[in-house]
Amino acid sequence: MKHLSDQELMRIVQAGDYSPASEIYDRYSSRIYNFAYRFLKNSEAAEDATQEVFVKMMKHANQFHGDAKLSTWLFSITANWCRDYLRKADNKTKESDDVLVNLPAPAELSPERTLEQRENERRIQKALGALTPEQREAILLSRYQGLSYAEIAQISGCSEGAVKTRVFRAMETLKKALTSEASGGQRCLTAI
Amino acid sequence: MSDCDLITESMPLLLTESLDAEQRERTHQHIENCATCGDAWSGYRETWSLLATLPEVEPRPELKKGFLASIGENVKPFAPAKDRRYMKWLAQAAAVVIIAGGSYFAGHRTVGAPQNYQTPATINSQYSIAESRVLPAAAVSPTIEGRPNIENVSFVDTNPDDQTIDLSFDVTSHVTVTGRPTDKSMVRLLRYVLENENNKVSPSRSRTIDWVRAMYSKPGNAEPEISEALANVLRNDSHEGVRIKAVETMNRLPVNASADTREALIQALKSDPNPAVRIKAVEALANLARSGATLDAATLDTLRQKAVQDNENVYVRVKAAEALSSIHQ
Repeated sequence: MKHLSDQELMRIVQAGDYSPASEIYDRYSSRIYNFAYRFLKNSEAAEDATQEVFVKMMKHANQFHGDAKLSTWLFSITANWCRDYLRKADNKTKESDDVLVNLPAPAELSPERTLEQRENERRIQKALGALTPEQREAILLSRYQGLSYAEIAQISGCSEGAVKTRVFRAMETLKKALTSEASGGQRCLTAI
Repeated sequence: MSDCDLITESMPLLLTESLDAEQRERTHQHIENCATCGDAWSGYRETWSLLATLPEVEPRPELKKGFLASIGENVKPFAPAKDRRYMKWLAQAAAVVIIAGGSYFAGHRTVGAPQNYQTPATINSQYSIAESRVLPAAAVSPTIEGRPNIENVSFVDTNPDDQTIDLSFDVTSHVTVTGRPTDKSMVRLLRYVLENENNKVSPSRSRTIDWVRAMYSKPGNAEPEISEALANVLRNDSHEGVRIKAVETMNRLPVNASADTREALIQALKSDPNPAVRIKAVEALANLARSGATLDAATLDTLRQKAVQDNENVYVRVKAAEALSSIHQ
């Protein structure tokens, strides 16, 4: 299966054979999970999103057209899932940064350096969390998934111009929060 | 809009290499000759680089197993058009047989509000959600309501001479159980949901814990069985986020000082692979002591060991030391 393209794998699925499921999952699960986790700041919701995106992909395989990239289609489903999740009022308070705490400390780093790294990660997640959902979606797809503005526009259901504006505003906000422009200009550590 | 504004707006495009060669060159030239835009560009580049330091998180391997297992359960194979027509015909045929047989069993029902529910003759007064039932056609309403989702239909004629046929199927029904949080059936149902969520009894595991916390943290609703169920979640759930929530909720419940829950906390502190769970366990134990419970010598020993254990996570060590300090005050 590894030598087949996404389109070829999807054609097999569309013919009613689910054997490419594992290969497609291996190709995209990490990207989907990380996008959902960074979007929602909730590892459990990110797991639910990942699972449901792939189940949906299999269930609605006939809606995938070979002229589009599979990644674009999968990120469309994921972004929709995440937007729906955030829309539900009781989910807005469920953000947690548990995964950052949970990541094993790299063995080669000293405890001080590990603390510093964790603090940086926390600051970045916090800064991402301060963006509007639209801006966050755009910057995550652009920075971490390397998608073009045209692809992001397709996923977000907006124009390329709107994507450009969202990325620009997101970068402005992040720059203020993360660089020396940040109030106090500090990157010092605070103990939990 | 000034040149500088235009240049600043195109900086993200420059970072993603989305500008064509001519625009790229023009933008770079402007940045080199304009101190304000030069500063802004440095800030953008620094931000862009910082964002890249966020580590990738790998989804748990269990997730893939769950997905592959769910394909068989949740997703019906996409059938070519010809087969779909056949399935439609089969469904229609099933519906006709159901109507002819007067079968009814579906829809949303509320257990605990029997006045809204016509009880078929063979249903006991106590409703079991695990029941698999055999209904005579005469006991089933000929009116099929609520578009029930009928699956796994099979037709059986066990005795061709007796003039009866069997139609067997699974039907998804939605059940609402109404009662006080302390009703035994309600407690047992919640316990079942909590302890079986890894089997996807419920779509979101932490949602149940949130709800349990809201309901059972009230003093009048204290239920030892709920605490025990949370202790089992702490012992067995594969997701660290869920285990953290379980400890936090145990910490909030009025009844959490039983030997079983305390043992679960100590076990989590000793051997849970996730430092955040171990931190929460320390907090819960300290909270128990503060609320008047006596921690036995073994528990205090475990906290002492954790406070000085060289290979323990630094946060856990600090928390254990703080807990000991607060206990001895």
